[in-house]
Amino acid sequence: MKRLKNAHFGQWIDPSQTVQFTFEGELIRGLEGDTVASALLANDQWLQSRSFKYHRPRGPLTLSGHDANTLVQTPTTPNLLADRLPAEDHLTVTAQNYTGSLHFDLSRLLDWCGRFLPVGFYYKAFFKPRGIWAWWEPIVRKAAGLGSSNLSVKAAYNDKTYAFADVAVIGAGPAGLNAALLAANAGAQVTLVEQEPHLGGSMNYHAFAGDCETTKSARDILVAAVETHENIDVLSSSTCNAWFGDHYLPIIQKSRLIKLRAKQTILTTGSSEQHVVFRNNDLPGVVMCSALDRLMRLYGVVPSAPVVVLAGNDLAYRTAFSGQDGGANVAAIVDLRTTCNNTALSDEAKRRNIALFQGCGIYEAKKGLFNHGLSQVDVHKLAERGEVAEKLVSIDCGLLAMSAGFMPSYQLACQAGAVLSYDDSKSQFKLSNLPQGMHLAGSVNSVFSLDLVEADGRNAARQALSNLGVAPESETASAEDVNCTEQVNHPWPFLKHPKGREFVDFDEDLQIKDIINATRMGYRDIQLVKRFSTVGMGPSQGRHSALPTARLVAKTTDRTVHETGVTTARPPLMPEPLGLLAGRRFHPLRRTPLHHRHLALGAQMMPAGSWQRPAYFGDPKQRTACVQAEVTAVRRGVGIIDVSTLGGIELRGPDAPEFMNRLYTFGFVKQPIGKTRYAVLTNEQGVVADDGVAARLGEHHYYVTATSSGVDRVYRDMLRWNAQWRLDLDIANVTSAFSAINVAGPLSRQVIESAGCSVDLSTEHFPYLAYQEASVAGIPARMMRVGFVGELGYELHVPSPLMGELWDRLLTSGEAHGIRPFGIEAQRLLRLEKGHIIVGQDTDGMTQPDEVSLRWAISSKKPFFVGSKSVDILSKSPLKRQLVGFELDATSPQPKEGHLVIRNGDIVGSVTSCEYSPTLKKIIGLAYVHPEDAVSGTTVVIRTDDAVHAHAQVVETPFYDPDNLRQAL
Amino acid sequence: MSAHLDPIFESPLGGLSHEGNISIHDLTKRHRWGLRGKGAAETLRIQGWDIPEQPNRLVASKNETFVMALSQREFWVLDPHNDTAALAMSNDFTRDAYPLFCQSSHAWLVLKGCQTSALMAKVCGVDLRPEAFKVGDVAQTQMALISCIIVRHELAGNDVFSIFVDQSYGEYVLEALLDARREFL
Amino acid sequence: MKIMTCPLNGPRNISEFVYGGQVKAMPNSQNVSDADWAHYVFYEKNDVGVVLEWWMHSPSSYWFIAERHNATDEIIRTYPADELFKQRVDFVPDEGAS
Repeated sequence: MKRLKNAHFGQWIDPSQTVQFTFEGELIRGLEGDTVASALLANDQWLQSRSFKYHRPRGPLTLSGHDANTLVQTPTTPNLLADRLPAEDHLTVTAQNYTGSLHFDLSRLLDWCGRFLPVGFYYKAFFKPRGIWAWWEPIVRKAAGLGSSNLSVKAAYNDKTYAFADVAVIGAGPAGLNAALLAANAGAQVTLVEQEPHLGGSMNYHAFAGDCETTKSARDILVAAVETHENIDVLSSSTCNAWFGDHYLPIIQKSRLIKLRAKQTILTTGSSEQHVVFRNNDLPGVVMCSALDRLMRLYGVVPSAPVVVLAGNDLAYRTAFSGQDGGANVAAIVDLRTTCNNTALSDEAKRRNIALFQGCGIYEAKKGLFNHGLSQVDVHKLAERGEVAEKLVSIDCGLLAMSAGFMPSYQLACQAGAVLSYDDSKSQFKLSNLPQGMHLAGSVNSVFSLDLVEADGRNAARQALSNLGVAPESETASAEDVNCTEQVNHPWPFLKHPKGREFVDFDEDLQIKDIINATRMGYRDIQLVKRFSTVGMGPSQGRHSALPTARLVAKTTDRTVHETGVTTARPPLMPEPLGLLAGRRFHPLRRTPLHHRHLALGAQMMPAGSWQRPAYFGDPKQRTACVQAEVTAVRRGVGIIDVSTLGGIELRGPDAPEFMNRLYTFGFVKQPIGKTRYAVLTNEQGVVADDGVAARLGEHHYYVTATSSGVDRVYRDMLRWNAQWRLDLDIANVTSAFSAINVAGPLSRQVIESAGCSVDLSTEHFPYLAYQEASVAGIPARMMRVGFVGELGYELHVPSPLMGELWDRLLTSGEAHGIRPFGIEAQRLLRLEKGHIIVGQDTDGMTQPDEVSLRWAISSKKPFFVGSKSVDILSKSPLKRQLVGFELDATSPQPKEGHLVIRNGDIVGSVTSCEYSPTLKKIIGLAYVHPEDAVSGTTVVIRTDDAVHAHAQVVETPFYDPDNLRQAL
Repeated sequence: MSAHLDPIFESPLGGLSHEGNISIHDLTKRHRWGLRGKGAAETLRIQGWDIPEQPNRLVASKNETFVMALSQREFWVLDPHNDTAALAMSNDFTRDAYPLFCQSSHAWLVLKGCQTSALMAKVCGVDLRPEAFKVGDVAQTQMALISCIIVRHELAGNDVFSIFVDQSYGEYVLEALLDARREFL
Repeated sequence: MKIMTCPLNGPRNISEFVYGGQVKAMPNSQNVSDADWAHYVFYEKNDVGVVLEWWMHSPSSYWFIAERHNATDEIIRTYPADELFKQRVDFVPDEGAS
């Protein structure tokens, strides 16, 4: 084909700059400004992909990225639209979905056996006998696949950003440009979003009222005003892919997702031109009228073979005339109607020597040679609605441009809750029930002539400004009259053929009979027809198939299109890469002040809730040995662990004791100052929600710890309770303000003493469960005698900025005592040896205090604590399960967390913790068992890996140091 | 990516990264303290501090400090020119005014430069452009998925953002900001 | 994404907020029947209409009350919790409280 470049044709290309890329291995020459599709068409390469089901040859249909006929692939990315993909040097493009080669696709055989693949075929064929789908699935998936993902490609850097606007205008055609300009002139901040690289929309390619020059100069003035306006942010080559609540608009601009929050949204999204349904209407070379307009006006590609225009409205005549003006050989206009609305058009066709067939249609298109377009179309006379009469003539042509009408680009409006209705008498659409702050203008609002479209855009801006409380400039203030009566939709653009292949849905290869058969099988509802036939489920999401489907369903079920309706529109509008949604991939992980010290000491870090914590210190190949050495250090010498992740809550004020009493199960009013107490929290359902240690620092002052993962929820709940109770206290989450370490082991006292401690650490002065404030190595610390790991131990809580220094000082002073840092794996084993539960690991969302033997931690003398009533009620019924300690020989298969406890063939519980204890030389664990089995000496059955049953013995806890002598040293 | 970052409490004062149009400074060690309670405002007034009339505002106060109101009853005093960290245990309080722990609990980063609003738009969903978020405005919000306090104020003649985040997320936020800044370098 | 207006922090993306359940009056746990208590704990209003809910602005840990229509999802009004909870709540202690 030849290229044309002047003021009106080839507007987007630069003939002085060629680009070269490969398609299917062949070198293709295009021009700067081309898309891959337009460059291929300029080289007469009409065949660009294969269809999804029958592997039929396909070429561009809309040239605007609105169809799935040009899905291609680059080495890194599948499923790109060739009519959107800019042609660039060195690009390697291949077609998709073929076996063998694009030209001789072996799977095209599927097309010939298509009559054996009726609608619903997959549902019916592959489900018997049971399990057969597993065999079929890979075969079907391969045949019906789209592009293939390259799994070795490193994910691209995708970005996200928030943006804000008073008014978002979606679509920069004549309505959008006018709307943006009027709103911006009034002082509103406007963001204008356009899918194409250039503004102007249909003014770039459509010959409104037949006069290219008038339209072009009007467009140039508008575009220049918009692009230079300081209140307008122009986002071109950008797609507004959805509408979310309160005008939250995801806009895809290359590798960036812009999350635009607008106060008002004006949709000037235009409309999708509709196809005529006839035999072989999917062949490469059959295009929409607007696609021919785009091909010639934007890319300057002039078809060399004769062109036939199939008109369902007056607008198609403009395409024929404009095409002829650009040098195309327009052989004929075939009009589905018997007359034009505007009879001057038929006169002009005659004047231009274009053969005119009115009241006629194309019955069949015939394939051309090789990759070129068509060879011929058959023109038949149309009788009554839907009846095809005798053949008039066959016309040799390479290209057929068709227009059955226009469907509003309703998707964004309908996502926002708007209702699309259809006036069957005028074949006209209407969108109603728009949400607050949304406005429509232009062809999405069923307005088609240029001056009215522009006025409609300005009207939408006036409404938006009025909602914003901004006055338009006085000379543009008054609303204009927009009353569009032009009928653009042909009511029945179907020419059924006995041999079929009249495609309703190009994406899914669905023909007239498929839709009709679906209704005959009883699927009357449009939603069911969609699900059964898969119509509208392809990448173009029903832009072209929705209307013909609705018409066919309406006709076969004796309803109107209005009654039939169309299927629901959901986000996203266009397929979007998942990488865009992932964005820059934030992974917020908290680090303690000792993080880098741990790394320097060889810590193997693991995520623990929102934190990163050392699992153990040392070589991962020696993991078990490392953990056991850490355990041994704590049991025999001294270990040190970073417990900065522990939650900390500060309760201060006259009502702090009362508040403690209401929140936690124990009594706290009489807790002595300078003592700690175990604190259990139940929720209103009586379920164990969290635990910690409460230290009373003063008459009106408590410092309570909470689990690392539970503290945020505990803090929140405390605030909410006190928003109701209005007690006089301050509640502060000091988790990050204080960092903590636990120095544990028989030698821990010596280590802290040698670092320098301002208080006497002897048992007499600082007994088990006591609290003291002290200076350790010159650093102010809150000190607690704790026994979580079952040895003499001190928890030191210090202001976080001082933690690094304290750690260094203790490691230095501990060196002589063989101090060893330990991680959470060792800590979990140490506490398990003591039989201490971890809330969240050994409890679940149903655990009541009695099941985990926490009755001792509940005060029965208080009038109230959160959960008190529920705990009372629960305790009246017999327990269904109980957490017990169990042990197994070292040689037994080791149960894992989650393994089931079986009793007489029934599941009665599960293992919550289990480890091999090097101290005790056996496997120990905690498990929920049947209450009758919760007696020491009972044997319970645990189903371990590979269904091997382990016979564990229920034992009393603690497993280690049963009299708790060591922690009280 | 984290290799070149110092731990948040040990990064050199007064400047982590001066590259490009936007510089990021670590003021975590600079002095700050706060009060919360029904008498907090009155206590500060008696001590001679200027305090904002509205929550979520910041005003300049005596000795080149700023006072920030997070609610009607919570105030932070920010002292960006003073290195004396306030690390007391805050055990002394009255029922009207409880000392806060903001010196220890939060990291303090400062963003300076001409495209800071555009950078912040990549991590924060609040409109922080100068026309929407004026000098003295405070936003308690989220950035890069975590909670934060963002303030626009003047510092040494510059229009800056101060950002306060939980100190355990300090390095994470710094990394997120450095990554977001790459396109502005 | 929806916008919710926090009485303290103004309009914000709904992702900054945490839902805290419906506002329900707690019966006196000392003389309520087990069935009534269970009803209080486990049941929420579920007929179409305006519901009263607890919401928290997460970055500021600020709890407030929202009136929301549960069918249209329209947030009708938000206001500070002390408009609803005006005075201190006390529980009558039994004898021998700890």
